[in-house]
Amino acid sequence: MQTFIKKLSGIIFLATCFTAALAQNKSAYDMTVNGIKVIVQPSGNEIVQVLTLFKGGVQNYHADKAGIESLAITALTECGTQKDSKNSFKDKLDKVSAEIGGFAGMDYSTVTLNCINSDLDQVWPLYVDALTVPRFDSSEFARIKQVAITGLKSQASRPDFAISKFSKETAFKGKDYSKSPTGEEATVSPLSAIETKNYYLSILTRSRMLIVVVAELDKASIEKMVNELTANIPEGKKIELSRYNYKPATNSFTEQKRAVATNYIQGITSGPQPGSSEYNAFSIAMDIFYDRQFLEVRTNNGLSYAPQVGFNGGLTPYTIFRVSTTKPDNYIQVMDKLLVKTHEEGFSPEEVKNSKTGYLTKFYYRMETNAAQASSLAANEILFNDWRRSLRINEDFKKVNTEEVNKVFNNYVKDINWVYQGDTSKVNPTLYMAGPSNHKLPDSKISNGNKN
Amino acid sequence: MKKLICAITLGFLSMASIAQPRLPPHYYWEKLPNGLEVVVIENDKVPLATIEIAVKNGAFTEDSNYNGLSHLFEHMFFKANKDYPNQEKFQNRTQELGAILNGSTGDERVNYFFTFDKDSLNQGLEFLNSAIRFPIYRTEDMQKERPVVDGEFQRAESNPEYVLYFASSKKLWGNLYTRKNAIGIHEVINTATPEKMMVIKNKYYYPNNSILVICGDVKHEDAFAQAKKIFGSWESSGFDPIKKYPIPEFSSLASTEYFVMESTLAQTPIEMFWWQGPDTRNDSAATIAADVFLTILGLNSSKWQQALVDKGLTSSVDFTYQTEKYVGPVEIELEPNPAKLKECNDELLNQIRQWGNDDYYTEEQLRNAKEIIHRNAIRRREKPSSQASRVTSAWCSTGLDYMTDYEKNCDKITRDDIKRFVSKYITGKPYVAGMIINPEMNKKLNASGIFKPAI
Repeated sequence: MQTFIKKLSGIIFLATCFTAALAQNKSAYDMTVNGIKVIVQPSGNEIVQVLTLFKGGVQNYHADKAGIESLAITALTECGTQKDSKNSFKDKLDKVSAEIGGFAGMDYSTVTLNCINSDLDQVWPLYVDALTVPRFDSSEFARIKQVAITGLKSQASRPDFAISKFSKETAFKGKDYSKSPTGEEATVSPLSAIETKNYYLSILTRSRMLIVVVAELDKASIEKMVNELTANIPEGKKIELSRYNYKPATNSFTEQKRAVATNYIQGITSGPQPGSSEYNAFSIAMDIFYDRQFLEVRTNNGLSYAPQVGFNGGLTPYTIFRVSTTKPDNYIQVMDKLLVKTHEEGFSPEEVKNSKTGYLTKFYYRMETNAAQASSLAANEILFNDWRRSLRINEDFKKVNTEEVNKVFNNYVKDINWVYQGDTSKVNPTLYMAGPSNHKLPDSKISNGNKN
Repeated sequence: MKKLICAITLGFLSMASIAQPRLPPHYYWEKLPNGLEVVVIENDKVPLATIEIAVKNGAFTEDSNYNGLSHLFEHMFFKANKDYPNQEKFQNRTQELGAILNGSTGDERVNYFFTFDKDSLNQGLEFLNSAIRFPIYRTEDMQKERPVVDGEFQRAESNPEYVLYFASSKKLWGNLYTRKNAIGIHEVINTATPEKMMVIKNKYYYPNNSILVICGDVKHEDAFAQAKKIFGSWESSGFDPIKKYPIPEFSSLASTEYFVMESTLAQTPIEMFWWQGPDTRNDSAATIAADVFLTILGLNSSKWQQALVDKGLTSSVDFTYQTEKYVGPVEIELEPNPAKLKECNDELLNQIRQWGNDDYYTEEQLRNAKEIIHRNAIRRREKPSSQASRVTSAWCSTGLDYMTDYEKNCDKITRDDIKRFVSKYITGKPYVAGMIINPEMNKKLNASGIFKPAI
C-alpha cells in the first residue's frame, strides 16, 4: 500500500534530463551513420540499451486507423522475421534473457533492445532482423490482434486510464492528440497483417529515424552495428512534425455515468511548447502546484488519496489535474480557491528554490538506469531538437527566477476542460463551468525581480 | 533459509566480534547496541543518498480488531512529530531537502524511504529519526486522514482486478485473512484512535525490530557514525515483539473452491488461481525451487506458454510466488480469450496436472531459467536507490543471507527440488479459483457454468 505518493507520479516531464555528473560515465557524443543521427552515452556498466525511434506518433495515421502503429511495432517481435519464426526468435532472446520490445507513443514510437554486454553479439542480429525483415506472419498477427483487443478492454476497465482517455478525447476533439496510440476495438479489428506490414514499411525510413545507444561500447563497434541495421533502409521523405498549442477558450465540463466506487475527475489546460523560453519555468510552476494541490486537497481537506498534477510537454503540450473523490463539488471549490490564490499571490522565492532542489533529486533518481537515459536523450532530441539539453538541464533550471515562474503560471493555467466519470448525481456542473479564469496575477508579482 | 545470527553486543567490544550476515560486495553491516541493524551500500553512480527504515509490522501482525492500522500508522508517519508538528511543516521540510519519499505497508514489512542529495544525508537521517521515534497523533489529524484512506479503498474497489484479488484472498486465508490484508478493514480504520496508534508503536516500533539502510553516494564509515549518533539513543524494547505477540499459523485450505463475480467494470474476464505455498521459516528450499520453476514457465518455449499463450487461449498467463516468512501465496493470473473460455480453462488445468512430469521441461530450459535469474540480478543491481528496499524486504521475510546467497542457491536447484515443490504445494492440493466478468458476457458465455474444476 504505497502511501505518500510524491512528485514522481505527479509531474510528467516527458523531456526529462540528466547531467554529465553521472559518476563514472564518459562524455556523450553523436554521429551520423547512413544519414541517421546516432546519440551515444557511455554507461560505465554491463547493460546495453539501444533505442530506435520513428518520428510522428499519432500524426502518422488517421483516426480510423488508430492502433495500427502500435500493432505494427508489436508485430516486429511477435510475428517472426524472415530468418526466424516467432518461437525461434523469442527462444533465442530467452536464452540470454534479452529484451526487444516496442512502444507506440503520441509523438514517436520506439523499439528498444536491452541485454547484457557479453550477449550483444547474439542479440544484435535479432534486433536488426526484427526491424528490417519482420515476417508479419498472418496467424501470429491474428493472435496479437486478439491480444491487443483484450488489452484495450482491460485498459478500459481501469478507471485512471478511462478518465485520462476520456479527457484527451474531449479536450483534443478533431486534433491528433485525441487519438489513442493503442486505438479502439473498432479501428484495430479490421486491420490485416498485410495492411499493417505495409504501414510499417511506410514509416521505416531513415528520415524518420533516430538511434540512441547507452552502453559501454567503442565508437567503431557502434558505427558498424548501426550500419548493419540501416544500410538497406530507404531514405524516405523529410519529416516535419507539426506542433499544436492547445488553449481552451472557456471552462467546460463533460460528464459520463460510470459505476465506480468513487468519482474520477480530470481537467486539461494548456502549457508551453518544448524549446520555448517558458518551458523550464512552467515545469517548476507545476512542480510547486503539485505540492500546493496535495496540501489543500489531501492534507487540509481529506478530499482525495492521490491528487495529481502533470505537465505533458510533448508536441501538443498540456497540463492535467486529476483526482478521485466522493465529494466532487467540494474538490472544485477547494481547487478554485487554490487557483485564485496562486493567480493573485503567485509562488514564493522559497518555493521556487525548493522546487529546483527537488527537481535535481528527481532528475538523478530517474537517470539511474541506461533505459531511462536513452529515453531522455531521445525525447530531448525529438521535442527540443537538442539532445544536449539533457546534459545541461541542471544549469538551465538554475537560471529560472520566481518572476518567470509566476508569469508562466498566469499565462497558461486559465480555463480548464473538465471531465467526470462516476455518479453524475453527485456533481454540480455549474461549479466547474464557473472557474477562476478571470483572476490575474498583479503586476507587482511579475516584475519584482526576484532571482533564485 | 539460514537465519541471521544476531550476536550479543557488549558495549565497547569491537564490531568485528559480532557475527556478520553474508552480504554482496560494497554492502556493510553493523548492529547498534540497541539492536538496530544498519546496512550501508556504497554506490556512487549518481550523487544521491537513499535512506530507508523498515519495521517488522504490517498485515501479519493484525487481527480483525487492528486490520489496517499498520497501514494507517504508516500514513500518520507523514503527518506530525515533535520537530515538525503538522503536515504542512513536515511537507515544507521535505521540500527543503528536495526529497523523494514514500512509505508502504505490506504483509510482513512497513517501510519508509527518502532519497535526496548526498550532502543532505545528515539532515535526512535527523528528519527520519524525528518521524519514526517521535510521532504525534491527534484525533483531528486522524479524522482528516480517514477519507484519504477511504479514497485509497475506493480506488482499489473501482478496479476489477483488485476486487477479484480481495475476494480470492478471503477464501485462501480463511479466518486469518486479515494477516494478508495490508490495506485493512474500512470500519477498523474509521474508528481508529490515537490510543490505538500508540498500541502499535509500543508493540513494534523499536530499534531491535527495525533495520536502517543507507545507500548511494555515501561512505560506510561516515554513514555508520551518523546512524549511531542519531539513532543510538533509541531505546530497545528489551523483548522480541514477534515472539511476545506471536503470529498464528494459517490453516490449510480444506477444499478447492471456484467462484464467479460479476462487475460491469470488467470489460474482459480476469481469472485468478491461488494456492498456499512454502515459506522461509519451514521450507526455504521450496521457495527457491518455486522461483526457478516460475522462470521456466515464463520461457516462450515452455509447454505452459505454448499451450496457453501461443495457441491464443489467453493474452498472457502470469505465474507468481511471493516469498514470505508466513506462508507465501502462489498465484496464476490470466485474461482468457472470451471466445475460448472453456478451452482455456480445460487446458490450464491440463497443464497444471502435468507440472510434476519428468518431461514437462527440458534440461536446457532449466539451464536457461538459471541464466535468466543471473541476468535479472544484474538488472536489479542497476538502480542504486532501489537497493535499500531489496535489503529491507529480505530482512523482514527471508534474512540477509538468503538474499546474498539467492543466485547461488538457484543454481543448485534440481529437478527433484522442483518436483517436490510442485507435489507438496500444487498438484492435487486444494486451491481457490475466481473469475470476474461483466454480467452481459457472463450470460452470453455461460461463464459460471464453464468455470469449474475438470471432472
